Amino acid sequence: MIAARNLRKEYGDFVAVEGSTFEVSEGEVFGIIGPNGAGKTTTLKMVAGLVEPTAGEVSVAGYGAGETEMRKVLGFLPEESPLYEEMTPLSYLNFFADLYDVPGGVADRRIHDTLDRLDLEHRERPLGDMSKGMKRKVAIARSLINDPEVLVYDEPGSGLDPLTTNYIIEFTRELGEQGKTIVFSAHNLYHVESICDRVAIMNEGAVVAKGDLGELRAAHGETKYHVYTTVEVPDSARENGRYHRVVESMDAVDETREAAQAAGGEVVDIRTDESSLEEVFLNVAESQSPSGGR
Amino acid sequence: MGGAGEWLRTRARNATRIAYWEVTKNAGGVDRRTLAIASLALVGLGALAPLAVSHGVALDKGIYRVGVTEEDPYYEPTFFDSTFRIQEPSSAAVRADQQEVLVRGTQVREYARTQKGRAAVAELRSTVDSYNDRLMRAEDNQTAAYPVVVNLTYVEQDAVQVVAPQGRTTIDTSQGDGEGSGGDGDGDGSDGGGAGDGGGDGDGGGDGSGSSDGTGGDGDGSGDGSGSSDGTGGDGDGTSGDGTGGDGASGTPEPPGDADSENVGGSSFTARLTGGSVSGAPSAISPPFPFRSLVLAFVFVLPLNFIIQAYGSTVLSERINRRGELLLVAPVSRGDIIVGKTLPYFGAALGAATLITIALGGSHVSVLAVVPIAGLFLSATFLGAMFARSFKELTFVTVTITVSLTSYAFVPAIFTDVTPIALISPLTLVVRDLQGQAVGAGQFAFSTLPPTLTALVLFGLGAGLYREEDMFTQRPIPLKVLDALAGRIKGKRSVGLLSAVLLPFVLVAELLVIALLFALGEASIPFILVAVAIIEEVAKSLHVYAGYVHARFDDRLRTALLLGAFSGLGFFVGEKLALVAQLVDLPELPAGRAGLSSQAALNTGLPLWLVVAGLLLAPLALHVVTASISAVGARRGRRAYAVALCTAVVVHLAYNLAVVSVYV
Repeated sequence: MIAARNLRKEYGDFVAVEGSTFEVSEGEVFGIIGPNGAGKTTTLKMVAGLVEPTAGEVSVAGYGAGETEMRKVLGFLPEESPLYEEMTPLSYLNFFADLYDVPGGVADRRIHDTLDRLDLEHRERPLGDMSKGMKRKVAIARSLINDPEVLVYDEPGSGLDPLTTNYIIEFTRELGEQGKTIVFSAHNLYHVESICDRVAIMNEGAVVAKGDLGELRAAHGETKYHVYTTVEVPDSARENGRYHRVVESMDAVDETREAAQAAGGEVVDIRTDESSLEEVFLNVAESQSPSGGR
Repeated sequence: MGGAGEWLRTRARNATRIAYWEVTKNAGGVDRRTLAIASLALVGLGALAPLAVSHGVALDKGIYRVGVTEEDPYYEPTFFDSTFRIQEPSSAAVRADQQEVLVRGTQVREYARTQKGRAAVAELRSTVDSYNDRLMRAEDNQTAAYPVVVNLTYVEQDAVQVVAPQGRTTIDTSQGDGEGSGGDGDGDGSDGGGAGDGGGDGDGGGDGSGSSDGTGGDGDGSGDGSGSSDGTGGDGDGTSGDGTGGDGASGTPEPPGDADSENVGGSSFTARLTGGSVSGAPSAISPPFPFRSLVLAFVFVLPLNFIIQAYGSTVLSERINRRGELLLVAPVSRGDIIVGKTLPYFGAALGAATLITIALGGSHVSVLAVVPIAGLFLSATFLGAMFARSFKELTFVTVTITVSLTSYAFVPAIFTDVTPIALISPLTLVVRDLQGQAVGAGQFAFSTLPPTLTALVLFGLGAGLYREEDMFTQRPIPLKVLDALAGRIKGKRSVGLLSAVLLPFVLVAELLVIALLFALGEASIPFILVAVAIIEEVAKSLHVYAGYVHARFDDRLRTALLLGAFSGLGFFVGEKLALVAQLVDLPELPAGRAGLSSQAALNTGLPLWLVVAGLLLAPLALHVVTASISAVGARRGRRAYAVALCTAVVVHLAYNLAVVSVYV
């Protein structure tokens, strides 16, 4: 559904994005994470056709980025919610529905359905009088006004309180479950981990890692095994009447088992602890830094 | 065709939607109140303008107190002149400075010995003159009322002059098909003196028009001249010429012992200001001050200054807090957005112009002539709003636009009836139309094409910035100017295209310089030559420099020379299109010749091939050489560009001086 190849964006002497390549399949939720200034927003804007790449190309649903037909199938939510604050939610959404050629009756139904789902009640109040969370909901409703196949969301929960953020992330998850193709960035890696099928990690303008969580853990994370025995083994600690040893490979688990048996005991429990996306991200970031290990 | 038609329909539909949104998005807000106030102001302006044009502004109502009774012949003239406040005659009041003039019968008996008193007497004299003129005009027998008809034609100072015997100078103003030679009068202006001989010899049945040159002395001379208006000949003999007009119905009041006969503004002043019919002695007739043109031009240009404030504000609002970002991802082009946002303000400008035109009795020509002015105001504001980083900067931008474009549009139009150079402003067409004068197609094209093309160029440059990467950045204005220019450079050849496209902008700038300096006559030529050289060299090189700043070109010398050649060629081609200037009399002015020097080589008596070479090859070589000089400097950075630009200006100036010395 989305294909980005060797994207590069220069602003004068500054290279914001360099050689980014990724694909997003239809119905997939694709997350882009990275530190500030990594090039996430610029990448999303190139996908949305807002920013013209210096080099490389993007296609969305078979259209070149920026083409009118592409815009008709895309819903974009920028990091901020730049609304026309003198308008009301209804007049604002109707205006965009008009621009997207959505018939009047369909637009009315879609606007009210979406605002109902987003639990937004004050629909005739000027946007300037609304809270940040309410404005964000209106911005999300606008991104859905054309019932797009592809959603590009930049930090959808940015600057909102945890309750509203969770609400919006849940809403985004539902959109993914409805079959929308979604590309989004977020600083809260828990949110990304919870709803994304695949993730790209960007650093200094480049995609440095990508894949599903399993692939990323395998490549950049760690798996720890917590082995509990009835007798003391090397490097173990007594814990609730048992002995607890943390190892990082199955070979070490086998060694622990053998040691326990040799001491007349046995292994009573083994628990696996996989790296979170945050730990994977930190590992990647550390490896990319000048003093990085790997 | 179907595709193009569909494309056009889509553009129109999108622009209309955005225009409708632009108008309605503020519904319910404070802007509606502002709109109401602006509408009232417009209506008020439309209502006041005709009054101001027809009557002037009565700031002097009742400032002179005159003591006169209803039985006195001066009662009626003063009664109808709002300048005077009638009181009971009272010597005590005059002495107490509570009455400026005291009249009994046909004599000014007393007047206050103050500046105001003397001014009141002079005003009274003018008022009575005008009153008498009106009575004369109302006479059934006009020949009896105006036994001498004098036609005045204002000619240039270097017109043919005939030095008459006895040291008298007569300007030959004969016209018509008669051979009547005007009589001449001569008054020496001394008190009571002067000897005049008026009249002329008519020959045949033609109309003779005489020129009478008499400066009347004051006093009670019984000047008597009989002229011929029908070619029957006649002779006149005046002794003791009286420039103020013979024996009118009521005579002319003179303050006792006051030999001052200067003109002080009065009711006839309005007639003189507006170029209306003026009767009286030749000395009382002044060249018309273009008051009417001034008011008409002002009425049309004023609403534009309000409209651009609102327009600049809405354009900048799109850039503040990235509000316009979401429109950029909607399925509309940036052209749709710009046209849609501009349409309501353009419509308001034309609506205001239409209302004013209807109120003043103009025709569609007035409305059409406002189109390029409105476009120029709006396009300049659009580009300025794309440059401005805050509303504070926008204020500076709009004030600059108001001052500069009002100067361009308004100042020349004031001189509609004075000089053909006024045609550089489309407002001149408006004034002409409202004064009932014909406007030719050539004049219309000359007045409207440069601002129209300039407006399109400005909109084009602004549109180049109407994208995410430029709209929301906070770069200094000079860098944004370079961004706008660089945005239009796609390769080396586009440099030439841009040079040609910028030509209307150059032409307007040069015409503005000419308009500002033409009053200096020949003395303005050096200034104009310098200004023209600077304007043209900047126009040929700034976009090349912008291209280098944005790394559009490599820094090889060959590339720079190629860019210079393209830029010079493009400018040359565009400049030739400026031959439209030949459509009017502008090149007849020394200032016009200097400003448009490369087109001024006609009628020089040189061989045709030399004229062609002069017209084509020399300017082409000039533009290529100077553009190359600038381009070579531009590739080495700002400082080198500045030095190279100065060099190019000097070369251009030397060329201009050579051309002017040869052809002008």
